[in-house]
Amino acid sequence: MGQGWKPLGNFIRNIALPAIVSVSFVTAALAGDFVFTAIPDEDETRLRQRFDKVAVYLTRELGVKVRYIPVKSYAAAVAAFRNNHVHLAWFGGLSGVRARLLVPGSEAIAQGYEDRFFITYFIAHASTGLRPADGFPAGIAGRTFTFGSKGSTSGRLMPEFYIRKHLKQAPAKAFARVGFSGDHSRTIALVQSGAYAVGAVNYKVWANEMKAGHIDPAKVSVIWKTPPYPDYQWTIRGDVDTVWGRGFKARVTRALLDMTDTDLLASFPRKSFVPAKNSDYKPILDVARSIKLID
Amino acid sequence: MPIFDLKDANAGYNGRAVLSNVSLRIEKGERVALVGRSGAGKSTLLALLYSQRRRGSALIPQDPGLVRTLSVFHNIFMGRLHMNGAWYNLLNLARPMRGEIEKIEPIVARLGLEDEMFTPAGELSGGQRQRTAVGRALYQQGDVVLGDEPVSAVDGHQARLVLDAIAEAHETVVLAMHDVELALAYTDRIVGLNGGRVVMDEPSAGLTRGDLDSLYER
Amino acid sequence: MRRSQRVSTSFGFLGVGLFCLVFADLSVSTLDPWQEMARMARGLVTPDFLAVDRLGEALLQTLAFALVGVALAVVAGFGLALVFHVRVVRWGCAFVRAIHELFWALLFLQMLGLTALTGILAIALPYAGIFAKVYSEILEEAGPRAANTLPAGSGTVSAFFFARLPDAFVHLKSYTFYRVECGLRSSAVLGFVGLPTLGFYLESAFKQGHYSEVSALLFLFYVIIATLRLWMRPRLVPVYLLIAPFVLAGGAEISLDNIARFFTHDIVPYPLRSAEVLDISAWTAFGTWTWELLADQALPGIVATLVLTQIALVGSGVLTLVFFPLVSRRFLGPVGRTAGHAFLVVVRSTPEYILAYVLLQFWGPSMLPAIVALSLHNGAIIGHLVGRFSDELALRPDHPRGLNLYAYEVVPRVYGQFLAFLFYRWEVILRETAILGILGIQTLGFYVDSAISEIRLDRAMFLIVITALLNIAVDGLSRAIRARLRLATTPEIQ
Repeated sequence: MGQGWKPLGNFIRNIALPAIVSVSFVTAALAGDFVFTAIPDEDETRLRQRFDKVAVYLTRELGVKVRYIPVKSYAAAVAAFRNNHVHLAWFGGLSGVRARLLVPGSEAIAQGYEDRFFITYFIAHASTGLRPADGFPAGIAGRTFTFGSKGSTSGRLMPEFYIRKHLKQAPAKAFARVGFSGDHSRTIALVQSGAYAVGAVNYKVWANEMKAGHIDPAKVSVIWKTPPYPDYQWTIRGDVDTVWGRGFKARVTRALLDMTDTDLLASFPRKSFVPAKNSDYKPILDVARSIKLID
Repeated sequence: MPIFDLKDANAGYNGRAVLSNVSLRIEKGERVALVGRSGAGKSTLLALLYSQRRRGSALIPQDPGLVRTLSVFHNIFMGRLHMNGAWYNLLNLARPMRGEIEKIEPIVARLGLEDEMFTPAGELSGGQRQRTAVGRALYQQGDVVLGDEPVSAVDGHQARLVLDAIAEAHETVVLAMHDVELALAYTDRIVGLNGGRVVMDEPSAGLTRGDLDSLYER
Repeated sequence: MRRSQRVSTSFGFLGVGLFCLVFADLSVSTLDPWQEMARMARGLVTPDFLAVDRLGEALLQTLAFALVGVALAVVAGFGLALVFHVRVVRWGCAFVRAIHELFWALLFLQMLGLTALTGILAIALPYAGIFAKVYSEILEEAGPRAANTLPAGSGTVSAFFFARLPDAFVHLKSYTFYRVECGLRSSAVLGFVGLPTLGFYLESAFKQGHYSEVSALLFLFYVIIATLRLWMRPRLVPVYLLIAPFVLAGGAEISLDNIARFFTHDIVPYPLRSAEVLDISAWTAFGTWTWELLADQALPGIVATLVLTQIALVGSGVLTLVFFPLVSRRFLGPVGRTAGHAFLVVVRSTPEYILAYVLLQFWGPSMLPAIVALSLHNGAIIGHLVGRFSDELALRPDHPRGLNLYAYEVVPRVYGQFLAFLFYRWEVILRETAILGILGIQTLGFYVDSAISEIRLDRAMFLIVITALLNIAVDGLSRAIRARLRLATTPEIQ
């Protein structure tokens, strides 16, 4: 007879049981693939499409299934690497140093040709009256300033290092206001609109944005270039040889160094990859320690 | 051993006194009517009595206290939740048991609600709701019933049937009533309230309508 | 008496909000927003649905995370609501809901990695805390009279299922439905930290100024929210839930080692990590660590957070009173209301973060864009709820029209409900200030985000706990105020 009180039964049947079944299924996972990621730093459009091609290349070269997973932030990339969810990663200078500190035995195996002498541009809005100069632009003190992402080498670590070195103060004290735009393209947009007077930006992104016609030289221009420093690199976990066989690390290194397809290299974007080792990044570690970004 | 025994009791809402220095003893088997103007303190007195002795008492509040989304059957069944295990109650909620329906059918019939047995209480008329609340008390079969105007929305003839049923089912009866005639006819003791005080407490026998008029004066 | 108390409370909050304005940095510093604004406007009118990588997948994942997360939270929250009178449960719930789902996601990312469970738990955990609280309140308010007439010894379980639950059910249902919309928003926003939902692509596209892609993603999201009532049918829920695992599958493996490391190493304050228990120098270092964190980050963070919250609370209230007539049957015909609904859907479904960024282009970095973004977003949410509530008012047939109707009939009647919604929203606004750190406003959330991006989870955890405590304090205050504005209904026996 239809005389009972329905809602409770409906709730159990329609929500409670399916929810529990659903969650227990969700915990099933894929395992066994060799997984890599790349920090999201420059051109983020069609990341999956572009890096899936790299995955196809590596699968062919290494003979094991290689998968790419996208991450949103430097911290997420480091966390995935540390949690062994990602075995190979294209890190920035600072994130790579952090990752290698957290994962003993991990190694920098290759870097971009350009990464041996990377540069940060300081850019300023035209209204500041600041002109390009060879020396550090001390005139930026007291203005508003934006970094890029908090975890970026070119957008945070190196500019902060030079600001502290030349202005003898922490950025928060040296400037009227300090922001973190989160991304190099956005740093350019914010300085161009005058929202911030000065900013620090990765030189390759500046060049790309210039080429794309997003920059109006009458409004924003480069006022200083930092000395070169080492930046992006491929870092691999130390335990890959035990999982995928002896010599696997060496094969991955070779596959990266042998990458000549300009289409694949454009994803990074680099001319080519050259050998790298952990000690190449000693300067980055020292700088990070000196400004207390690493304990 | 009296069923209820209040000595100089006070009660109020939000600091405003509603009952002051009320003393009242009710013995087993008594049939008591509480009468008085609205606001005299009848409902508060009933609530006070109920709070003194919840076990074994069936309550028919003025707002009938029904669960609007449940049927008349379930609302009446709630009078005996304490006599069954939780699982039994839950099963009966999801799907009424034959045995329970058979037990509740006569009560529903006596109250004239046979066509509404599985109608949600929220869809009933005022009089039907009141009778459902009475049905719950009847089904509970407490030895005491505390009723707050249990027939105020029921018409004359049916009111008498309902009061007969209440009188039959419970040993001790305390009813707040505004209908003086019914009070005299169905109880054997009249307690009159005015301004939160007991101003009259006499056997019904020998009292007339006129004797109670003074309670309704300011 | 009751009215005047409500009005005086409102003026009290208005006063606090105005007072906070003194400390807020509201300077307008932009010189030339027009080039970027023109690009945004161009993008808005030329949505490009094909530009987004795996749009369909992102859409399905957004739905799947939201539905599974909310469903799990409903089940857990309902269970917790039954034992909500236990103090530990109440505190536990206050704690889990005091932490923004983005922070939960960031923490779970460290523990579980980029797995589906990270996203589900990031939604389910805080939502379960919210459901437990609201469900228990709804149940408490439902049918006290029926419960009161039950024979003594009826048993808590029977009493609950007969006297409380049935009449509360419709309210539980409508509240849950409302939270589904919130769940979709949360799910989308989780993309900002890396889950593969719409927010993932939205943030990327926005960051790089691909505004046609941004508008495509936003339009899609608006459509989902606006059509929620059409596709969110009780009968379809089990179907959705059982499809969801197939959409979400394919994440990484969950490792107990990682979880253990998170608790025993990552969140242990750095100076204590490898120290012996009795090592005095470690404890001194820990003292310095704590003090520096408190003085340099927590305290300034609390001040900025509260200033922003109080101003945004007043702003949300004012905008609610402006917005709700736009969707109310009392004021507009069907055409006007549809437009009003569309407007409110757009305003409340655009993540605060995006709103704030657009405003940042106009006004430059200060508290102003954050205040306006939070006020718009929350004003639209509460406006929508108050508008729906006003539809149910019974007005006399000869009621006045226009402004008189608004001022004399409708606002006085919805005012109590309006305040209740606003005070509920108070702690939500407090949590939302967290994700606006990008504007250079150094709220607590800004420092939490910094600590996480520096992979200093010990500091992050410390600040998150402080944030949670602040939330709990605001929640308690809001509860006390709500209780004070309501007259007591139970008799006190003297």
